[in-house]
Amino acid sequence: MRALDYALREGWASLWRSRGSGAFAILAITLAMIALGILLLVTWNVERLLAEWSSAAEFSVFLRDDASSEQRGEIEATIDRSGVMEQRQYVSKGEALARFRREFTELASLAEGFEDNPFPASLEVRVRPEAEADGRAIALVQRVAALPGVADVRYDREWLARLSSGLAAVRGAGLALSLVLALAAAVTVASVVRLGLNARRDELEIMQLVGSPIAFIRGPFVAEGVLQGGCGALMALGALWLGFAAVNLWWGAGLAMMLEDRSLQFLPVQLSTALVAGGMVVGGAGGFAASRHAV
Amino acid sequence: MIETHHLSKLYSRGLHALRDLTITVAKGEFVFLTGPSGAGKSTFLRLLLLQERPSEGDIVVNGHDLSKLSRREIQEYRRGIGFVFQDFKLIPNRTVLQNISFVPEVLGVPVAQQRRKAFQVLKWVGLQHRMSAYPHDLSGGEQQRVAIARAVASEPVLLLADEPTGNLDPDLSLEIMNLLREINSGGTTVLVATHDRELIRLVGRRTITLDQGRVVEVA
Ligand SMILES: Nc1ncnc2c1ncn2[C@@H]1O[C@H](COP(=O)(O)OP(=O)(O)O)[C@@H](O)[C@H]1O
Ligand SMILES: [Mg+2]
Repeated sequence: MRALDYALREGWASLWRSRGSGAFAILAITLAMIALGILLLVTWNVERLLAEWSSAAEFSVFLRDDASSEQRGEIEATIDRSGVMEQRQYVSKGEALARFRREFTELASLAEGFEDNPFPASLEVRVRPEAEADGRAIALVQRVAALPGVADVRYDREWLARLSSGLAAVRGAGLALSLVLALAAAVTVASVVRLGLNARRDELEIMQLVGSPIAFIRGPFVAEGVLQGGCGALMALGALWLGFAAVNLWWGAGLAMMLEDRSLQFLPVQLSTALVAGGMVVGGAGGFAASRHAV
Repeated sequence: MIETHHLSKLYSRGLHALRDLTITVAKGEFVFLTGPSGAGKSTFLRLLLLQERPSEGDIVVNGHDLSKLSRREIQEYRRGIGFVFQDFKLIPNRTVLQNISFVPEVLGVPVAQQRRKAFQVLKWVGLQHRMSAYPHDLSGGEQQRVAIARAVASEPVLLLADEPTGNLDPDLSLEIMNLLREINSGGTTVLVATHDRELIRLVGRRTITLDQGRVVEVA
């Protein structure tokens, strides 16, 4: 406890003494933590949206124009019995055409020229989130597709799967980049701390000769690294917040439309705290490496 | 207090700074270590403070075999040993008081007790009025007295001095020697390395003479 208090006081004093080169180390940490922060922001938001979209899963069963009402009844019964369904709605051919005219007004003239109504009737089924997750939804879709009177089933999960695997790739690449930057930052911290350490060789020799415990000799250098890391991570957090606000300001409206009215969110408290803690760990590792040269 | 057996220190260029040294210093003794420049006096003291390791042989100080101490134990061992060097070895950015109280401070000795001790030893060397001065504000003689005060504050069993008067004029040198004698009369074993034969003659104690790393005379 006394060693910690002493190390923090001395580490802070040392950081202040060498604030020129210290700023350099802090900047390195800031850059690494910005990279990590962007990665966290992107993956966290995409994961959150993915979860929401997955829970809002729907599939459409398109009926043949010649499907009988018994066949339609059998299809509906199969869906109802499966326990996968949350809600279902029948969309007749007429309604499908009307919907097309409403949603694609600029193509309305095209629809004028139709002799027959080309849109099939369909059943739109909203899936329970747990059925989506455990694969029962897929099983149902395959069963329904084989029933008489069904022209096609559209269960468009492929883009979600692609988004997930894309996210995994982004996460892998981002993590690798962040690790490299964190390593570079730790090395920078270590060299900066070591610079100050070398300037105090005489003092360190005296501390050793009078029998100062090792923790009191090395501790301040570790603390200096931790403080540099903490400052750098806090600055990164500030920069991320400003960047996030700017993105929302300029592209917020467009994003909201693209995301179907779901908004992007900044890192929650736990992740922000973890980011700062990560910066402190990286800085502390650099300080620790440098402190080995103190004794 | 100090026993060495066939102690040798070989530096990289094949140079023997110390060669087959077997020396005994009894508890409570005051001993001079002398010899020409380059004889190996400083090397011997550095080995005793574990600033360096012997190439051969071993050293036992106050019952501790120095080669067997862990890093933590080395620091503990050093706390029991006072040292006074030619270049004073005071921490420049700490006041006289902070220099003296550094170890008690990190060891968690209560502040009042630290101050009482510091005041007591500073008064003894006649510098109680310079408590909050920084080393560079003091003369050489004053800095050396602060170094002595620091060494005594830890109540060491052994005090090592390497050319403690090397930077001082003769009057001040004698004054420093008197302080060391006083410490010795309190029961602390004192080993002083100096090439100043005149000073040794004035003080008159057992003297071990080295030359080229060997003991050439004990008187
Ligand atoms: N770090 C070192 N590296 C190489 N040689 C050294 C080193 N320290 C001392 N020496 C050599 O060891 C010998 C003894 O030196 P030293 O112990 O300083 O003598 P003294 O203190 O008696 O003048 C000298 O020849 C010196 O050059
Ligand atoms: Mg010498």
